[in-house]
Amino acid sequence: MKHYQMGGSIVRALDGLDLDIDAHTFTVVMGPSGSGKSTLLYLLGGLDRATAGEISIDGARLDEMDENALALFRRRTVGFVFQSFNLIPSMSALENVAFPMQFAGITSVQRNHQARNLLGQVGLSDRTDHRPTELSGGQQQRVAIARALVNNPSLILADEPTGNLDTSSGAAVMQLLSDLHNSGRTVLVVTHDPRMTRFATHKIYLLDGRSVSETEYQSAALESAQVS
Amino acid sequence: MKPLDLVRLIFGNLSRRKARVALTAIGVVIGTSAVVILVSLAIGLQRNANEQLYGIGDLTQIQVSPAYEMTEGMVVSVSVGGGVKDPGQPQPARLLTNSALDELRAIPGVESVIPREYLMTGVLIKYQKLEGGVGVIGVESDDLASLGLEAIEGGTELGRGVVVIGAMVPNNFYDPRIRPGQEPPPPPQLLGQQIQFIVSKYDEQGNEIRKNLSLRVTGVLKETRGESDWTVYFPLDQIKSLNEWSQGRRVNYNKEGYSQVVVKVQDVNQVLDISDQITQMGFQAFTPQSFVQGINNFYVILQFIFGGVGAIALLVAAIGIANTMAMSILERTREIGLMKAVGATNRDVLAIFLGEAAGIGFIGGLGGVIIGWLAGQGINVIALVYLANQAGQQGGPPPSVAVYTPIWLPLFALIFSTIIGMISGLYPALRAATMIPVLALKYE
Ligand SMILES: Nc1ncnc2c1ncn2[C@@H]1O[C@H](COP(=O)(O)OP(=O)(O)OP(=O)(O)O)[C@@H](O)[C@H]1O
Ligand SMILES: [Mg+2]
Repeated sequence: MKHYQMGGSIVRALDGLDLDIDAHTFTVVMGPSGSGKSTLLYLLGGLDRATAGEISIDGARLDEMDENALALFRRRTVGFVFQSFNLIPSMSALENVAFPMQFAGITSVQRNHQARNLLGQVGLSDRTDHRPTELSGGQQQRVAIARALVNNPSLILADEPTGNLDTSSGAAVMQLLSDLHNSGRTVLVVTHDPRMTRFATHKIYLLDGRSVSETEYQSAALESAQVS
Repeated sequence: MKPLDLVRLIFGNLSRRKARVALTAIGVVIGTSAVVILVSLAIGLQRNANEQLYGIGDLTQIQVSPAYEMTEGMVVSVSVGGGVKDPGQPQPARLLTNSALDELRAIPGVESVIPREYLMTGVLIKYQKLEGGVGVIGVESDDLASLGLEAIEGGTELGRGVVVIGAMVPNNFYDPRIRPGQEPPPPPQLLGQQIQFIVSKYDEQGNEIRKNLSLRVTGVLKETRGESDWTVYFPLDQIKSLNEWSQGRRVNYNKEGYSQVVVKVQDVNQVLDISDQITQMGFQAFTPQSFVQGINNFYVILQFIFGGVGAIALLVAAIGIANTMAMSILERTREIGLMKAVGATNRDVLAIFLGEAAGIGFIGGLGGVIIGWLAGQGINVIALVYLANQAGQQGGPPPSVAVYTPIWLPLFALIFSTIIGMISGLYPALRAATMIPVLALKYE
C-alpha cells in the first residue's frame, strides 16, 4: 500500500494490491495514467517505501531494510530503465554505463571492459565516446539498458522504456528486454503500448491502485472511451 | 567507493562547472591569501624584533652561577654537606662542583654544560706598538662552537699557546704614544699574529709583579653584539693557573665549584623550563629567553589577530561555497536520484558532495597560498629596500626579512580552507544524501 499525504487529503496511489510475480518471467504492467504503475515499479525497486504492507523480493523484505541495505539491494539485484533515460549529459556512453560500478568498488580497467562489452551487446560498439546529446533517443535508451545491466541484476524494472521512442526503436528496445528475459532474468515493464504485450509471459492490469482482471480492465477502458 | 575513484569523480564533477567553481573559489583565494600574508607579516615583525634582540645572547643558553643564600633567614637555607657556616657572610647555597655539573647534564633537553671562568686579575695586551684592554675568559671546551660561537676568520678551536678573539677586540687597541691631533691607527689584522698578554698582581708590599705571555691568534669570532665581541678566549686550565698564580693558592673546582657554567639547551622552547629546574636545584640561572618570551607572546597574539582578520574573509567565502553547493544540488537532483537508483549509498552521495565542497576550498586555498606567498615575497623586496635605507640613516643593522612565511603556514592555510569548504558543504551534502530516490528522479 502506498499513500501520499497531500495537505489534508490522502492520495491512495496503490491500495489493497496483492501480487505475486514469479522469477524468470516477463511481466507487463498496464493501466491508465495515474493508476499507480510507476509507483508499483519504484516500490519493487526499492526507490520508494510503502506506507504499509509487505514487499519481498526473492525472500528479502524490502519494507524491513534500512537505507543502506536498500541501496545495496538496488545495486546488486535491480536494474532500472526509465522513460526519460536519465543519462548523465556530461558523460560519454561508456562512462554512463561504467558509472554504477564505481559504487560497487570495481576497478576502472574492469569497469571499462564490462561497459564496452555491454554496449556491444546493445549494438552500440561504435558509439562508446558519444555524449547522450549525440545519440538518438533509441540509442540513449539502449545505453540506459546497458547501464541497468552492469551489476548483473536478476530483476529488470522498466518504466515506459519506449514511451519517448518511435515505433521501430521502441521495438528494438522491447526486443532487448525480451532477450534479457530469455537469458534468465525477471523483467517487469510498465507500458501503455498494447503491442509490447506480445513478449509478455504475464500481464498485470492496474486501475486506481488496484490490480484487476483483463476483462474488468477492458470494460473499464471501453467505458472511458465512451465518455470521451 | 574506492578513494581514488571518489577523488576522480569529484574533480571530474568540478571541472564540469569550471566557471562557477572558479568564481566561488576566488572568495577562498582572497581569504586564504589574506591569512597567509597577514600571518607572514606578524611572523616577519617578530623575527625582526628578535634579530634586534640578538645582541643579548644566544637564546639556547642559560648562564648558571652558584646561588648565594641570604643571611638572617630570609631565604630557605639549602644545606650542602656538613661544615659550620660563618654567620653574617653570604654562603653559596649550592656550588657548581663537578657532581653538580653532572646533575645539570642529566636534565632532559640539556645539550652541554660548559664551565667558564673569568681571569680575576688585570691584563694588558700588546701588539707591536699598540696596547689594549679586554676581558679574558677561559672555557672548558676545545671548540667555541660548543657555545654557539662562529669564526669569521680562522677557527674556533682552543688550544695551548693560542687564543680566539672577539670581533671587536682589534678595535680596542690604541697607540699609547700617539701625539694629539694625530690620526689613530687603524684596527690591526690579528689573525695568525702573536700578541702579548701582561698579567699583573701585587704582593703584600704593594709591588707589582708581572707575568708575560705570548699567544697566537688562531680565530676571530663573528660579531654577536654581546659579551664575546670584547673577549679573548683561552682554554680553561690556562685561566685556572693564571688565577692560581694571581691569588697565590691552588683552586680546586671540585671543592669550590666553578664560578659560572653555560648550559646549552637543544630546543629554544625548553629554555625556560630548564632554567626553572636549575633554579629549583639551588642555582642562579639567567637566560635572555625570559626577556624574549614576553615580546614573543605579543607577536603570537598579533599573529592570531591578523590570522583572524584573514579568517573573516574566509568565512565570507564559506557562505559562497554553501550557496554554490546548494544550487548545484538543486540542479543535479535527478543525477542524485540516478546515483541512488544505481546503488549509491547515502554515504557515497554525502562523500561526493562533501568532497566537491572541500575541492572548491582546496582549489581556492591552493590559489590563495600561492598568491599570498608571492605577495609576501613582493612586499619583502620593496620593504627591505625601504627599511635598509632607514636603518642606514639611524644606524644599526638592516632587518633581513619584513614578511616571513614559514613552511607550516601555507600547509595550515591549505588544510584550513579545505576544511572550511567541507563544513560549508555539509548541509547541502546532507540534504543530497538523504533525498528520497524516487522524488529526486521525478524532480524537474
Ligand atoms: N509524490 C507524490 N505525491 C502525491 N501524489 C503522488 C505522488 N506521486 C504519485 N502520486 C499520485 O499517485 C498516483 C499514481 O501515480 P503513478 O505515477 O504511479 O501513476 P502511473 O500509473 O505511473 O501514471 P502514468 O501512466 O501517467 O505514468 C497518481 O494519482 C499520482 O497523482
Ligand atoms: Mg508512470
